Amino acid sequence: MQVVVELFGIARARAGVARTTAVGDCLGDVLADLAAQFPPLAESCIAGRTLRPGFLANLGGQRFVTAPDTPLADGDTVLLLPLDAGG
Amino acid sequence: MISARTVPATSPSQQRTTDSIHLMNSSLPGYHGCLLRIDLTTGVSGQVALDETLLRSTIGGSGLGVELLLRAGAAECDPLSSDASIAFVFSPLVGSPLTTSAKFAVVSKSPLTGRINDSLASSGFALAGKKTGHDALVLTGRAPRLSILVIDEGGVRLESAEAYRGLSTRETERRLRENLGSEFQTATVGLAGERQVLFATISHDGRHAGRGGSGAVLGSKNIKAIAVRGSVRPHWAEPAALVELARKFSEKSFGPATAKYRELGTASNLLTFNRLHVLPTRNFQQGSFAGAEAISPEQISVARERTRSSCMACTIGCEHLYGLQNGTGSVRLEYENLFALGPLCGIDDPEVILAASRLCDDLGLDTISAGGTIAFAMECVERGLLDEPWLKFGDGASLLRSLDLIATGDRLGQLLAQGSRRMAHAIGHDSIDFAPQVKGLEIPGYDPRGLQTMALGFAVGSRGADHNRSGAYEVDFSTAVDRCNVGPESAHLAVETEDKAALMDSLILCKFLRGVFTDFFSESAEILRLVTGWEVTANELRQTAGRIVTNKKRFNIRAGWTPDEDTLPPRMLRQALPDDPRAALSKESLGGLIRAYNLARGWSAEGWI
Repeated sequence: MQVVVELFGIARARAGVARTTAVGDCLGDVLADLAAQFPPLAESCIAGRTLRPGFLANLGGQRFVTAPDTPLADGDTVLLLPLDAGG
Repeated sequence: MISARTVPATSPSQQRTTDSIHLMNSSLPGYHGCLLRIDLTTGVSGQVALDETLLRSTIGGSGLGVELLLRAGAAECDPLSSDASIAFVFSPLVGSPLTTSAKFAVVSKSPLTGRINDSLASSGFALAGKKTGHDALVLTGRAPRLSILVIDEGGVRLESAEAYRGLSTRETERRLRENLGSEFQTATVGLAGERQVLFATISHDGRHAGRGGSGAVLGSKNIKAIAVRGSVRPHWAEPAALVELARKFSEKSFGPATAKYRELGTASNLLTFNRLHVLPTRNFQQGSFAGAEAISPEQISVARERTRSSCMACTIGCEHLYGLQNGTGSVRLEYENLFALGPLCGIDDPEVILAASRLCDDLGLDTISAGGTIAFAMECVERGLLDEPWLKFGDGASLLRSLDLIATGDRLGQLLAQGSRRMAHAIGHDSIDFAPQVKGLEIPGYDPRGLQTMALGFAVGSRGADHNRSGAYEVDFSTAVDRCNVGPESAHLAVETEDKAALMDSLILCKFLRGVFTDFFSESAEILRLVTGWEVTANELRQTAGRIVTNKKRFNIRAGWTPDEDTLPPRMLRQALPDDPRAALSKESLGGLIRAYNLARGWSAEGWI
């Protein structure tokens, strides 16, 4: 499966891109692929197949998810963003 | 050099009230055990003892301030009358080595909402104010003419402020230090406070006690500024352990939990909120803004110098300042002023947003209420309810002109200066339907239809729609709820965030530290134990936090609160966000959330305590 990944805040700053693609059947696979593509992103946001504390994933702008086994479909959009809002 | 004294100098040590002399408790670690009460009408000041039971049950900051105001009968007063009280309240942590602890609360009845208002700020004013030897400064009465209130080792005095009349907050602060000495720390109002604009701020080194119009209260007392200097430090119960704990917290504050604030600042929320369709746009008519990328901090910094700064005694350093292209200096840009002076008014020109932010800082205006009220006026013009055809969404010149009018006060300016609720009542035609406020306080940059736990937090908030007293957006930004379809089971999560905020505002610590804590209530108990020597527990602090929230409700009930004011603007309960139809919240759904919240608090289902 190929998914679109949109990055925000620190995740965008670390990856150096606002949008990219990644492959995987579940969230954990996609995170691992992103970590391989963008090592600085892995240092801050991704630990193996999970998100580091302080970060969340969101499917299509609708549902927040963190579980690595969350299934993904081809063409899904995954948002990576910092956990907290505030300001 | 200003030296003329307009009232006799009074020494606090010589003016103790008779009922407090024997109650002084300066041996209590972390506290001075007294407040300084100043009657600006008579010029008489005196110390009043604060006993340990009171301090332990309210801690400081907001908690202590609300209790002091309740005891002073402030809930029943007109907030702009000479009878009204305004308290500047420190905390046991002020002056300690804990990062972000140089904070204080300004507590009064809000002239904008008629309800409790506690605004917090970080600055050297907290440190110097506490060093005057008091845990709080409480002002009542009204000075006979525009004055500077000076509190130092020599006592309390009023000096003429004629030379400062009409000056910006920035220039007032600069001249005060020049005239009084750089060791003085100041709290000042700008032209907005002098003219009692209902959402005027009190400025401290460019940081503002911003919401609810505390600047108007100070202005109504004929006080242009307060200048404090002192050298009295309370001791700590376990100084060595406290220093070690503070070192660990500072280390953590450099870590990933605060990276967002340190590296990007709060303005980085903009694109996230825009993507999730919860970025209030054109007076909450939409949840996303076509010009968001152009005004994102990433884009703004491309063509401008960006520097970073921090509040006094803070290791996070969340302040990001952007240079104005006209070379007139730099401006702090936070998410709230970016959203309120940008998308909310349809503005996509970064230079206008920065200039408007600078103007609000100088005039001493709350950016959220200023932007919210102007956006409301723009929609009124669009709907033919207000005959000011120049006032249009997306027009930067309109925004800047409106801000000037608020402070200088022509007919429209006087209308805007009252905030959107009063303005709607003056305009009529059911415009209250889309006035972006709760209890009179303009809604911050979170569309409640797409963040429904936050909607609950806004509706029940004691000072109105407020993101600093309820952090319920954290629940919406989690896997705990479906943010567009929140049920009553989320009420206890909203209570939890409100309790945490109440405790942080009373200790006082910056909320940007919250990610640094592993077990917030337990670690807070340990901090308080090391400062005060009290064997407090996490459970005691949970109860204290709940009691502080209930005390705010008690104040509001005395001020005339009724259950029907815990709500959102009617339009938000009738129309979904056009760019996200899932983001819909009915009056019935919100009512269910509110009832669940009230019961979770241990109040009646309607919210009576």
